[in-house]
Amino acid sequence: MTLGDKAYMYKKSKLSWNCRCILCMIPSFIGILIFFFVPYIRVLYFSLINNQFKKNFVGLSNYITTVQNEYFRLAMKNSLLLIVICVPLLMIFSLLISLFIANIFRKRTFIRTSFVLPMVIPTASIVLVWKMIFPEISTVIPIYLLFIWKNVGICVILMTAAFLSIDKCVFEAAKLDGASDFALHTRITIPGIFPTLLFCNMLSIVNTFKIYKESYLLYGTNYPPNHSYTLQYYMNNHFLKLDYQKLSTSAVLTSLLVFVIVVVGLKIQRRYSW
Amino acid sequence: MKKIGICLISLCGLAFIIPVVATVALSFMNDGKLSLTGYNSLLFDCFPFYTMFWNSIFYTVVITIGQLIIAVLFAFGFSQTKYKHNRIVFMGYIMLMMMPLQVTLLPNYIGLRDMGLLNTYSGIILPLIFSPFGVVVMIQYMKGIDYCTIEAARLESSSAIRIIISIVLPQLKVCIFAVGLFVYAECWNMLEQPMLFVKEEKYRTLSTFIASADKYTGDIMLPASVFFIIPVVILYLYFNEHLEKGLSLGDFS
Repeated sequence: MTLGDKAYMYKKSKLSWNCRCILCMIPSFIGILIFFFVPYIRVLYFSLINNQFKKNFVGLSNYITTVQNEYFRLAMKNSLLLIVICVPLLMIFSLLISLFIANIFRKRTFIRTSFVLPMVIPTASIVLVWKMIFPEISTVIPIYLLFIWKNVGICVILMTAAFLSIDKCVFEAAKLDGASDFALHTRITIPGIFPTLLFCNMLSIVNTFKIYKESYLLYGTNYPPNHSYTLQYYMNNHFLKLDYQKLSTSAVLTSLLVFVIVVVGLKIQRRYSW
Repeated sequence: MKKIGICLISLCGLAFIIPVVATVALSFMNDGKLSLTGYNSLLFDCFPFYTMFWNSIFYTVVITIGQLIIAVLFAFGFSQTKYKHNRIVFMGYIMLMMMPLQVTLLPNYIGLRDMGLLNTYSGIILPLIFSPFGVVVMIQYMKGIDYCTIEAARLESSSAIRIIISIVLPQLKVCIFAVGLFVYAECWNMLEQPMLFVKEEKYRTLSTFIASADKYTGDIMLPASVFFIIPVVILYLYFNEHLEKGLSLGDFS
């Protein structure tokens, strides 16, 4: 408590204010504990035993079999390809769009709607048309385009918000010094919204893991062509068989991957933010 | 240069909206002619559609309201307490928010199975109510609100709930709209939870109806898709102007 706080005479009550605030936080904590945290510990445990009934502790052998599994490798490869190809494309595309919308178009235009709307449109409802537009399913392009179509919205919103929060005086000052439009963006805009760019990057990488739903709807089967067999297919197929060991092993592996991505992202963000 | 840019962006925008427009347009077509047979057979011959439509509405409304309540409460408590470990808790929530569904699905499933909540409405609702997205966004947004009014209110009342309702909520309006819209869209779009957590058709949602297209005849799918789009588009048109202000999510540093 600072001196300033003590100067107030807060309304007296049996429960201290701190207790009340903690009580407010309790519901969320309990929910997270029951539905996410405790079960996750059990998933960790499942990934270390040989099967549901014998419950012998087998160490890392589940992990080794999973990593050696040919389908897991295929799934991993496809998921990583999606990250390496689509995320940079998505970032550049949404950065351009949000800069254009913020600078040239006025705030609420048809253009903005058409980029942001796909974010809320349920994928299930447009896959039929998507199938008509891209009848060829022997390539992976429809999925990639669907991913970009779906994810541009959130990136544009976040980037626009970050861009609008940059102090306009900085731009004015730079213009007075004779900076070109290009320099304005590379020297002020990009560093200014860098934390947000990084977050969008993280979010998009994580969203590539979520593309399963779109891909499942598009192919309508749990066994898609090889090029689209991503990590989620691997996991969902095991989910349908309720093969807990394989399932929990790949869940743990995926969560580790996401964990690393998020930790690295947040570390960089802290280091390079203004 | 500028004009070329405007043209290009407008073209892209058009291309982005085409799938939606095409869905709506094609739903009125049958064999290349304008007709309403699709709507006819959907609305009058296909009864599972109604159950699933109302299920979808029910789930999304309950989840959205629930998640907003939990998130506001938590974010308020979080912003008022100053513990050393607050940042770690926040990081935990961000981490959980970023976890893909396939990671959280299995823990959810195990939790629900142990509590006997599979094949119930609450089995789908409860895990989603506690999903951390709303909490993270609210905490971020609360960093920017005016705390003097809260301090002032504490001189008058010691009830946290009353302070939240009369002081905090009005300041959070924009954020609530944005989070609400986002959560609503996510839940409306959910597919895995109803597919895996419930077996009976009476608990399922419109998304599973459309995903199991091969069970039904082809021409009712596009009209069903249109009904699937309408509620989110209406909400979007009402609340979209709050999105930028409400989701100030980018910078955690």
